[in-house]
Amino acid sequence: MKTPLTISSRPVGPTGSAEAVSPPAEASPSELKVRVRNVEFGYQRKTPVVKGIDLDLHAGRVHALLGDSGSGKTTLLRLIAGLEPLNAGRIDIGEQSVSAQAKHVPPEKRAVGFVFQDYALFPHLTVQQNVAFGLKHQPRGQRRAAALEWLERVGMEDFARAMPTTLSGGQQQRVALARALAREPQVMLLDEPFSGLDTTLRDRVRETTLRVMREAGVAILMVTHDPREALIVADTVSVMRDGRITATGRPHEICIRRWEYREEGGVQVCHECVEVCAG
Amino acid sequence: MHVFRLLKPWPLLCLLICSLVAVPTLTVLASVLQPFGSEWQHLAETRLPLYLRNTAILAVSVCVLAAIVGTATAWLVTACDFPGRRIFHWALLLPLAVPGYLAAYAYTDLLQFSGPVQTWLRETFGWGRRDYWFPAVRSLPGAIAILTFTLYPYVYLAARTAFIEQSSCVMEVGRTLGRGPWRGFLTVALPLTRPSIAAGTSLVMMETLADFGAVDYCAVDTFATGIYRTWRSLEAPTAAAQLAAVLLSVVMLVVLIEVLARRRARFYQTSSRGQPMRRAKLGWRGSLAAITVCGLPVLLGFIMPAGIFVHMTITTGDERAFEVVTDFGRNTLILAGLAAALAVGLGLLVAYGRRLSGAVSFAAGKLAGLGYALPGTVVAVGLLAPLSWLDHRINDFLAAMFSWQPGLILTGSIVAVIFGYQTRFLGVALAMIESSFDRIRPSMDDAARTLGTAGVRLMLRVHLPLLRAGLLAALLLVFVDVVKELPATLMLRPFNFDTLAVRVYLLATDERLEEASFGALVIIAIGLLPVVVLSTLLDRHRKNSPIRNLDEAAVR
Repeated sequence: MKTPLTISSRPVGPTGSAEAVSPPAEASPSELKVRVRNVEFGYQRKTPVVKGIDLDLHAGRVHALLGDSGSGKTTLLRLIAGLEPLNAGRIDIGEQSVSAQAKHVPPEKRAVGFVFQDYALFPHLTVQQNVAFGLKHQPRGQRRAAALEWLERVGMEDFARAMPTTLSGGQQQRVALARALAREPQVMLLDEPFSGLDTTLRDRVRETTLRVMREAGVAILMVTHDPREALIVADTVSVMRDGRITATGRPHEICIRRWEYREEGGVQVCHECVEVCAG
Repeated sequence: MHVFRLLKPWPLLCLLICSLVAVPTLTVLASVLQPFGSEWQHLAETRLPLYLRNTAILAVSVCVLAAIVGTATAWLVTACDFPGRRIFHWALLLPLAVPGYLAAYAYTDLLQFSGPVQTWLRETFGWGRRDYWFPAVRSLPGAIAILTFTLYPYVYLAARTAFIEQSSCVMEVGRTLGRGPWRGFLTVALPLTRPSIAAGTSLVMMETLADFGAVDYCAVDTFATGIYRTWRSLEAPTAAAQLAAVLLSVVMLVVLIEVLARRRARFYQTSSRGQPMRRAKLGWRGSLAAITVCGLPVLLGFIMPAGIFVHMTITTGDERAFEVVTDFGRNTLILAGLAAALAVGLGLLVAYGRRLSGAVSFAAGKLAGLGYALPGTVVAVGLLAPLSWLDHRINDFLAAMFSWQPGLILTGSIVAVIFGYQTRFLGVALAMIESSFDRIRPSMDDAARTLGTAGVRLMLRVHLPLLRAGLLAALLLVFVDVVKELPATLMLRPFNFDTLAVRVYLLATDERLEEASFGALVIIAIGLLPVVVLSTLLDRHRKNSPIRNLDEAAVR
C-alpha cells in the first residue's frame, strides 16, 4: 500500500556522505554549535569505521543518527566527545577547533555532555554526588545546590540521597541526563539513551529529556536504530551505513526515502515508521 | 606510532615495573646461554633423570587427583542437597590454609614408625617391627597424597564458581533431551566447566612444581629440591640456574595451556541472567556418600594436620611460644606487610596502565604475572646473581667516590627477599586488581572524562572507591602467601632474620616438631583469613556487586 507523500530528498555528496544540513526551513535559525568536516577514523588505520563524515549541529535542535548496528553511529559520537582521536578531518565545537589531524582536545576539556547507553552512573556515589561530579571547580555548597537544581529539572530531587543501584532504568537515565547537563555543555551526545526502557516509560522519559535539553539550548546528537524514534523526536535525521552518512534530511523525507527503497527491495524498513509517515 | 605510544608515561611505567619484576625469570633463562660446566655434567649423569621422573609423576598424579576431588566436591555442594552441604560449601576451602610442608610434618609425625598410629598398632596387636606392612609417608606416594589434599581447593574453587554461574536451564534442556542427572553432569555440566577446571588444575600444577617444603620433608628428589641442593651443597649457582631454566620452561608451557583454556572459556560463557541451578535432594544413601566424599578432603587436608599441631601445642607445648610471636612473628609481619603493600601498589599501577594503554602494558603485565608460576627456589637463584653484581658495583662506586663500602645492602638486607616476593606474588595482586578493574565498565571512565575528570583524579575519584574490595583482597592474599612462603625466604633472607615459616622448617628438619607446633598453628591461623574472605566474597560476589545491581536496576 503506497501512500502519496511529497519527497524532497537532499543531494548526496561524491564520497557518499550527505551535504551538511542546515536547520529545516520552517525552524527558527539557531546558532551553529558543532561542525564536523570530512571526518575519518578507524581503530586500525587500514579499516576505517567512519569515513568522510560531514555534520552540523545547531543549538536547541535534535539531530538523530539512524543506522544498523556496526554502521559507525556510536563511533561518531565518541569522536565528537574526544574519546577517540581522528585520523583525518576536523571537528569544531563552538568557535574552538577540538579535533584535527595534529590536534586533539581531550574529552575532559570539551564542552560536551554524553549520556551513555548504560548510563554509566558511578555506583559508589549518591545520585546528588553523581550530578555534582563534573562541577569540580565550584565550591562545595554551590555544587550541591546546582546538582539539586538539575535533579529538580528532571524530576529526581526526591532521590538526591539515593544510591544509583536503587533506581529503575528510567530514573537512572534522568540522573545521567542531569549529570551531563550540569556542566552546561554546548552539545549533548546521546547513545541510544532510551533503548533499555520499556515502551510506556520510553515515551515519558524521552519527552522529559528532550524538553529539558531544548530548554538548556544545547545542540543534541542522538544515536538510535529505531526509525520511529528518530521520526518522532528529531529535527534532522542522518542515516549511516558502513561508516558513511548516506542521507540527511528532515525526518519525513528520510522515512519516505527508506520506504521507497523497500519498494525497490533495497533496504529493510520499520513498519511503524511507514505508519507514522502515512498517518 | 607504536614507539610513540611506548614513550607515553603509563606504558613506560608498566614496562619498567614489569621488567624489574621479571629480572629473575630473565636471569634464569639467560643461564642457558652460559657453558654447561662439570657440575651440570655430574647432575645429568646422576640426579637429573630422577628429578625429571619424580617431578613428572608428582605433578601429573597430583593434578589428576586434585581435579577429581575438586570437581566432584564442587558438583556435590552446588547441584545436590544433603545434610551439612552449607558447611561443606566453605569448609572444603579450609585446606588452603595449610601449606604443603606443614601437612607433611604433621602426617610424618602421625604415621611414622615411632608415631602414635604405628605405636598403637604394635601395642594393641603385639606386632614387632617386621610383622606388618605400613605405607611410608616419606615417599613419592606420600607426597602425592599430601599435596592432593592441600591443593585440591584450587580446582574446587574454580569448578564451584563455574557450576554456580551455570544456568539450571542448561541442565534442564539436557534432561528434556534424554540425559539423566548423571549423564547430564558428564555430557552437559562438565564440558561447560572444563575451562575453569583446567585453569584450577594448572594452578595445582604450578604449586606442585613450586613446592619445596613438602617434597623435601618427604625425601622426594624433584627439581625444586634439586635446585636448592645444587646451589647450597654443590655451590654451583650456574648449574642451579640451568636446572631452574628447565623447570621454568615446563612452567611456561603450563601457563600457555592455562591461557588457552581461559580463551576457550569465552565460548563457554553462559548468560548471567539464567535461573540458578536447582539442587537435587539426595536420599539417605546418597547423602551418606556425599558427606563422605566432601568430608574426607576436609578431614585429611585441614582437620588432621591442624589437629595434630593443636594436640602437640597443648600436650608438649612450645617453650619458645612467646619468642615465636615476638621475634619471628614480627619478622614475618614486617616482610609480609611490606611485600603486600608494595605488590598492591605496583599491581595497581600496572593494572591502571593496562586499562589505559593496551598492548604494551598488557604484554608487560603478562611478563610480571609469570612470576607467580615460578618456584621460590627459581626466583631466588635468578635474583641472587644480578643483585650480588649490583651490590658489588654500588660498593665499588661508593669506595671510589667516598672511600666507604657499606657492604651488601641488597642481598644482605630484606631488599632481596622483598624483591623476590614481588616477582613471585605481583601476579596474584595483579590478577585480583585486574578482575576488579574489569568489573568497572569502560563507559564509566568515558563518563568521568566527559565530566572533566581524567588521569590520576579519575583513578582517585572513580577507580579507587570501586576497587576497594579488590585491593583489600589482593593485600590479604599476598600477605598470606608471603607468610606461607618457604623456599624463596629460606634462600633470600638476611642473616638472623628468620620468619615463622623458616623457623618451622628448620625445627622440623631437626626433628623438633613439637617446638615448631605453635609457629605452624600461627601460620595456619593466618592462612585461614583469605579462606574466610574468599568464601564470603564468592557467596556475595554476584548478588551484592554494585555494578551488577546497577545492571539489574536498569532492567527494572
